[in-house]
Amino acid sequence: MHGTDSNGIVTTGTTTVGLVGADGVVLAADSRASLGGRFVTNRTARKVVPVDDRTALTFAGSVGDAQSFVRRLRAELALYDMDHEPGASVDTAATVAADLIRREETPQLELVLGGVVPDPTVYQIDPAGGVMDAPIAASGSGMQLAYGYLEDAHDPERSVAELRAVAAMAVRNATERDTASGDGMTIATITADELEREQYDGIERAVSAATSRTTDSEVVR
Amino acid sequence: MNTSSRQRAYDRGHTIFSPDGRLYQVEYAREAVERGSPSVGVVTSEGVVLAARKRVRSPLLEPDSVEKIHRVDDHLAVATAGHAADARQLVEAARKRCQQHRLQYGEPIGVSVLASDLADHIQEQTQSGGTRPYGAAVLVGGVDPGPGPNSSPTPDDRSADETERERESATERTVQPALYEVDPGGTFYGWRGTAIGDGTAEIRSFLETELDGGDSTAATPDLTRDRGLSIALDALATTAADDRPISASTVTARVLGPESDSGQSTPVGDDELERVLAALESD
Repeated sequence: MHGTDSNGIVTTGTTTVGLVGADGVVLAADSRASLGGRFVTNRTARKVVPVDDRTALTFAGSVGDAQSFVRRLRAELALYDMDHEPGASVDTAATVAADLIRREETPQLELVLGGVVPDPTVYQIDPAGGVMDAPIAASGSGMQLAYGYLEDAHDPERSVAELRAVAAMAVRNATERDTASGDGMTIATITADELEREQYDGIERAVSAATSRTTDSEVVR
Repeated sequence: MNTSSRQRAYDRGHTIFSPDGRLYQVEYAREAVERGSPSVGVVTSEGVVLAARKRVRSPLLEPDSVEKIHRVDDHLAVATAGHAADARQLVEAARKRCQQHRLQYGEPIGVSVLASDLADHIQEQTQSGGTRPYGAAVLVGGVDPGPGPNSSPTPDDRSADETERERESATERTVQPALYEVDPGGTFYGWRGTAIGDGTAEIRSFLETELDGGDSTAATPDLTRDRGLSIALDALATTAADDRPISASTVTARVLGPESDSGQSTPVGDDELERVLAALESD
């Protein structure tokens, strides 16, 4: 899928991943925005964004579509939270997101949505509004490369502290061969206690930061 | 013919001027507010305190289901008095307006902007055909983002996620607490402390004594959140019947203040309400 907005800016050339762990979820994405994957228009794009206290998503598609979509999703979830106690579950957030995508003016976006309410869950949301939960999910032009690594390395019994390194490696491996992904990384870790997001300039810097925080050194094989 | 002209007269609506220039329906609506249980707002140097008395008509009634103070955005809440069903519609309108503002301008709505938007909406019901005025008044309390290092992000400051930057920068700013009252006629005024509903006159004169001596545009100097809460509850107590004093189950309160662990809008827990009421009792 190659979404193009009015300026022709495309981030489908992207690699994003989502992983379910024992105590939360990890979402990660590269930070390159490009014109058709051939010219880099921004090297510090954040493609992992929080939409609620404990829910975030990654996107692949045009930047304009994604920004507009995220604003609308945040508004919908904020309204939901005011009417409902407790606030939106990951399942609800995914349903609302998919519904927005299906509506006429909303865009062709590939989303990975993750959160911890009530349990750590990751959803893949396709451009037609299909919602599927999975222990691992990836989107964007580098997703095959990311999946190749994740199929081998992911273990849902691991903690998010360890899975950060797995997510970073998956994005790193994709940027090695996918010309439309690269430059840096955004990694979000969501647990019941917090939603933490970090932005890294440079792929290797992100990988070493994610790896050094891992207590179990055998994670990165 | 006769029938249709009668129908037209019926449809014309009730909000027409009396010969001496009054809108009786609006005045009746204000009367409905006066009969509602009271809500109080107090601006402190640390935020806005909203408090309200709940009418719990029977011991079987679940007090939690009586809603007087409603969160409408992260930094805003609305306290109501009057017809509860009408008030709920206003709360819903306020919530939508808050999110619409975020969508349209990428920033949280200001307290006075929300108050004036609600006032516009309420005024419309006093002038258009086929409607009746809202039988409810609201207090809009909240904190405005004050001037800060990032108060005007330039467009090239935007990353792919500009709303997030907006959120992050908002926490670095100082905040300005503000309180507005909107009445069924659609007029709104800013206050340092006021009340709507039953006993407003007594509560207001109580507040005038307690909050006297500040500059009229700013929060009452040196008034802490705790002191503000105590004054607000004390004000509500002035209107309670002697045989039925206020208690933690018949009052509710919320504080809109600078970012805390639970955000800018924090309900006051029953424990604290009991503590403050007990302290008032012993004074």
